[in-house]
Amino acid sequence: MSGTQLRLVGGTVYDPANQVDGETRDLCIEDGRVVPSLPDRAPSLDLRGMVVMPGGVDIHSHLASASCNHARRLLPEEHAADPMPLPTLVDGDRARSGTGGTVPSTFTTGYRYAGLGYTTVFDAAVAPLTARHSHAELDDTPCVDGGIFVLMGNDEYLLRQIAAGERERARDYAAWLLGSAGGYAIKIVNPGGIEAWKSGQRNLNGLDEPLAGRGVTGRAILEALANAGHELGLPHPVHIHCNNLGMPGNAEVTLASMQALTGRRAHFTHLQFHSYGGPGWKSGAAQLMDYVNAHPELSVDVGQIMFGPATTITADGPVEYLLHRSSGRRWVNIDIELETGCGIVPFVYKDKAAVTALQWAIGLELFLLSQDPWRVVLSTDHPNGGSFLSYPALIQLLMDRTIRDERLKQVNPKLLAGSALADGLTREYTLNEIAIITRAGPARLLGLKHKGHLGVGADADVTVYSRDSDIARMFATPRYVLKGGSLLVEEGQLRRAPAGRRLRLAPGYDDAVLPDLRRYFEAYSTVSFANYPVQGIRDEPLPL
Amino acid sequence: MSADRLVEHVTCLGCGCSCDDVTVRVVQDHIVDVAPVCPVGRAWFGDGQVPSRVLSQGGPVTIEQAVERAAHRLAAAKGRCLVYLGLDLSTQAQGAATALADQLNAAVDCATSDTAAAGLTTAQRRGRASATLGEIRNRGDVFLFWGVDPSDRYPRFLARYSLEPAGIQVPEGRRGRYVISASIGDDRGLGGADSTFALGPEEEITALTLMRASVSGNPVTAKSPLATRAAEVAQRLVGARYAVLVHDAEPSAQQRNPLRVEALVALTQALNGPTRASLCSLRGGGNRVGAESMLTWQTGYPFAVDYSLGYPRSQPQRRGLAGVASGRYQASLVVGAIPEEHALGFSGLSPILIGPRASSAPFDTSVAIDTGVAGIHDQGTAYRMDEVPLPLRPCLVGPRSTVDVLESLAQAVQDRLNSGAR
Repeated sequence: MSGTQLRLVGGTVYDPANQVDGETRDLCIEDGRVVPSLPDRAPSLDLRGMVVMPGGVDIHSHLASASCNHARRLLPEEHAADPMPLPTLVDGDRARSGTGGTVPSTFTTGYRYAGLGYTTVFDAAVAPLTARHSHAELDDTPCVDGGIFVLMGNDEYLLRQIAAGERERARDYAAWLLGSAGGYAIKIVNPGGIEAWKSGQRNLNGLDEPLAGRGVTGRAILEALANAGHELGLPHPVHIHCNNLGMPGNAEVTLASMQALTGRRAHFTHLQFHSYGGPGWKSGAAQLMDYVNAHPELSVDVGQIMFGPATTITADGPVEYLLHRSSGRRWVNIDIELETGCGIVPFVYKDKAAVTALQWAIGLELFLLSQDPWRVVLSTDHPNGGSFLSYPALIQLLMDRTIRDERLKQVNPKLLAGSALADGLTREYTLNEIAIITRAGPARLLGLKHKGHLGVGADADVTVYSRDSDIARMFATPRYVLKGGSLLVEEGQLRRAPAGRRLRLAPGYDDAVLPDLRRYFEAYSTVSFANYPVQGIRDEPLPL
Repeated sequence: MSADRLVEHVTCLGCGCSCDDVTVRVVQDHIVDVAPVCPVGRAWFGDGQVPSRVLSQGGPVTIEQAVERAAHRLAAAKGRCLVYLGLDLSTQAQGAATALADQLNAAVDCATSDTAAAGLTTAQRRGRASATLGEIRNRGDVFLFWGVDPSDRYPRFLARYSLEPAGIQVPEGRRGRYVISASIGDDRGLGGADSTFALGPEEEITALTLMRASVSGNPVTAKSPLATRAAEVAQRLVGARYAVLVHDAEPSAQQRNPLRVEALVALTQALNGPTRASLCSLRGGGNRVGAESMLTWQTGYPFAVDYSLGYPRSQPQRRGLAGVASGRYQASLVVGAIPEEHALGFSGLSPILIGPRASSAPFDTSVAIDTGVAGIHDQGTAYRMDEVPLPLRPCLVGPRSTVDVLESLAQAVQDRLNSGAR
């Protein structure tokens, strides 16, 4: 079935990018792409009665980075409890065993994403100093196309350019850094706050508190990098993790961050963690989603928390320290020279805990109050809010109000007074909307023209589900998954595990920045300037 | 590559510093100079000459014959094999060897010393507070060297990564840093420190515990010289803008108290309440840290992994080499250079040896295939002691690529397993 031609016959197709909403259609695939037609003798697969969607696109995950590897090492008990024996592959592919848990080993990560029907995944937070490591992990993560977002919001050289008012040099540096790391997008985490943590200021409170001795604010960092992304013509706008993650009342700074970039494209990630009203703990979801609904230049992913084990991994060092102190759990902190930080705390979200129940409710409110599914993407900030394996259960909560309301009755209600969810949100997502928030929408927001849809010319990444009244089971066990026309999953079993394609960019820049940058490296870096850029990445950069 | 030349930005794997600013001068395919000069690095580079033999039972064979014989031996012992990751391997070679271990349901272990392993398991229990070396250099204003003088085994650590260079937050370099040095029994501390003291091995855990109590805000009311000293050091550390605790994660001649690393991790974590602090664990060279990193991403565990049930299991209490002596394995594949302290462990097992100077091993081998040294002959990636990955820029042509040999072997093993002809 892995030949160059395949006709998918009679499936019920959900392809929202091409305005196909549950229509019975054939799909023709040749040489890894969707084509208009095939000869009658082409091999076929009977999909009558089944649901057909583009392969899933995860816009925000943590799967392949030095930080993930620190987290993996921290979790031997999870790995021991969740072994992954060798799958039986065909076509001579050599399979690899592995281990799971909230941060699975690399091969297992690839297999499990494929088994879930996801075929494109991005690691959303990579320190450029360790980008070489991320690419090595991605080389060992089969089945999915993918890439990395490059952390820039606390970068020493960038902070210097912003402080000096060198706007163009900041842009050129961002371009150089993105290309050197083999990255796909600019990522900002707690703008300025990580440098504050490392330098003893501990954190920045809000968007306008300056970094001590520098005068640079989170606002200035946001604006500089948003402008850089725009001027460089990057397909995905700056990907922003706002200040004060996890703090009660942080919706205020989140809103201020959105307002700071009014009129400019920007993606606000794991919004749930930034949607807490104040004073005390309460939902700020409605306020923020009202703003997002009214501003088509903005997009978000939700970062839903799901009850159960998780591992919090973030460059946002100060928030992990606080989580460690408040939870008493194991804690890793790694300060990364000149660039960023890394914090890790394993965690369990309990439905009887008032704050986590509120977090759960806020995430659902964001989904259910959204008026434009194209700009509100499904994510759990894997593994921060829960494993990517919990996506099917989340989809069920969105599609089935009865189950959602039953679940709501079981959680701690202490902080839910006044929340929209507790007041009764009746919306139920349709299959078409699920297709938008899990594939069509994120592909469009990422500027991946060949992903997230099934039109002629699209990558033949296709997921086929058997209809099931149990929505979670339906989405957890796709019947077939194709990637680039190759059948990875047949009858629910992983059969092929080809290497994925690396999605990266190399934007142009004025190389007048290089002499100054070389001097800076010689003065402060412990890695040679010549050795810093990652060489030998598997695939060429995508055209801009 | 026969022309005389200078190769710049070469990464040295002589110790865990993995300095990547080395210029190597090559004349007539021999390394004749390396700069900056460091005794450990100079010894590691040598003249770059390695043998290029392929042996089976001590006699010369073709590479194809050697691979076939190795595949036969390994496939026949599937489920009772050891794959040992030695030193001077690229991470790519380490990964290829681990793939073989997976194929063979083998145990796979690496050159991680038991002392270093104790640090890794401590980090699994508690986490850790650490930093990359540049962070230490750019921020550290108070240093505590705990039973270590890095000058001997990590010669450029002080000059390139810690005390001496100017840092962004410490523009005066050494003059801007306060250095405390603790000697622990025979583990002597750093010379030339601003403050020094000595403890007996039996006192160190108490001292570190008292310091942790103090930095956590508990008044130390115990009246003893040790308590007084601990409180003074703790006060100095708390007064730092960014404190750096340095210890040697590799073994020394003195029997190491296994609780030392746990006490240091706990103290450093506690210091991040009143100030910022990181623990710097000095590690040996040869890309041993890369093996731990790769094993972690491929299996979830950093060392001592057992695939015998068809998936990786962590067996820290059953290190690979210990199993050799107990007769647990029918065949072993040793890849890379073997640390001296481990060489005896393979006597009597006649392993398959693939790596630099394999043909000169001080024990019998069933198959020996000479390959290049990562960073001198083999390209790829290696990891610094702080887990920063660096590129390897070969300056000489080696006998053959370690990765290529391992991939040929993996294919030959697979063919045998598929055909049922073990």
